[in-house]
Amino acid sequence: MNCHEIGRLLDAYVDNELEPAESAEISRYLETCGTCTSRLAQRESLGRLVRSAPYYTASDRLRAAVATSRAPSRFSPTLLARAAVVTLAVSLGSGAVVRTMRSRHAAEATTSIAEDVVASHVRALMGDHLVDVRSSDQHTVKPWFLGNLDYSPPVEDLTPVGFPLVGGRLDYVAGRAVAALIYQRHQHVINVFVWPAADAPTPIDSRSIRGFHVWHWTRDGMSFWAVSDLNDPELAGFAQALQK
Amino acid sequence: MPHGRFEEVVLPHLDAAFNYARWLTKNEADAEDVVQDAYLRALRFFSSLRAEDARAWLLTIVRNTWYGRFPRRDRTDHRTGFDEMSDEPPNDALDPEALLMQQQTVDTVRAAIEQLPADFREVIVLRELEGLSYKEIAAVIGIPMGTVMSRLARARERLVIILGPATSRERAS
Repeated sequence: MNCHEIGRLLDAYVDNELEPAESAEISRYLETCGTCTSRLAQRESLGRLVRSAPYYTASDRLRAAVATSRAPSRFSPTLLARAAVVTLAVSLGSGAVVRTMRSRHAAEATTSIAEDVVASHVRALMGDHLVDVRSSDQHTVKPWFLGNLDYSPPVEDLTPVGFPLVGGRLDYVAGRAVAALIYQRHQHVINVFVWPAADAPTPIDSRSIRGFHVWHWTRDGMSFWAVSDLNDPELAGFAQALQK
Repeated sequence: MPHGRFEEVVLPHLDAAFNYARWLTKNEADAEDVVQDAYLRALRFFSSLRAEDARAWLLTIVRNTWYGRFPRRDRTDHRTGFDEMSDEPPNDALDPEALLMQQQTVDTVRAAIEQLPADFREVIVLRELEGLSYKEIAAVIGIPMGTVMSRLARARERLVIILGPATSRERAS
């Protein structure tokens, strides 16, 4: 590595778009070079400045004009069909005979829940009901859930790593009341849906649905679903931070 | 065929479409026209959408609509009056950091971004405001990822020059 190469890769480094090994190499180099470090600082402060520029949102008039190009419907047949898949997967018992079938249905159920999670995320953003309890204090948010659900999800403010906690909300996913934690990254909202998981810890699963990224994992008896329109590398960083 | 219906799949990305169009056109009325037109096209081509990339797909349509509508000369230097900030209240409930930022700085930054040529402006907006990954930006604009990286670098260099004093002020704070 030399200063010239750093200069070429600095933007990708700031944007978290490099392979971990390459990124680590640059971090090491930066410790030794004052010029490159100050260029990095300049890039970071420019990023903060630029992100203070307005994010223009559509007016109600435009929303109405666009929406009426086709009449909206609340419950589409496909959504109901997917709900049926969940019910089927849940009602299938254990036993060797159905095991293969069950794993296939489990995969379908996961897909269906992921769809449901995205739908809830969109509903929360498009309606005016994003937050029930607004607080960045985990000691306020966690007890609030205990008063409203028969469990309380782990709640942690991630402001130190750039994902401030905004608050909590009750939501409904896959036919049950669940805890939703709301985090923020710049202009982007991240919803994390948490509920008790019956099954063993699962490896992290990530997918993209209709332009939203969804990360799912199971840990300490809880099932986590993080969804956002935030880009995938940053959402991955968020998921990692939340698992620490 | 995409999963779900048009309203479920494409409507949720309306703000992204409008923000992008608003920065491309630099004024509210043109942006609304472009978005409305883009949605009509999106409806027509909906069956060509793959399931996972609705936002990038829609933004591409917004971009093509805008390119088709405004002649090149207009694109680089298109200004109609000025839109007041007042019609875009900052979401202070969600972003306490923005409260600290002085309105003056925000205006300076907005003017600086608007000053950039369209191809620089759009990578800045897609990356910094829309938060797209390089891969997604490459898909929207139709350029290789390496070009996204170098174009972003050049656009930022340009911004550092335009914003010179503001950048150091920000760093001092």
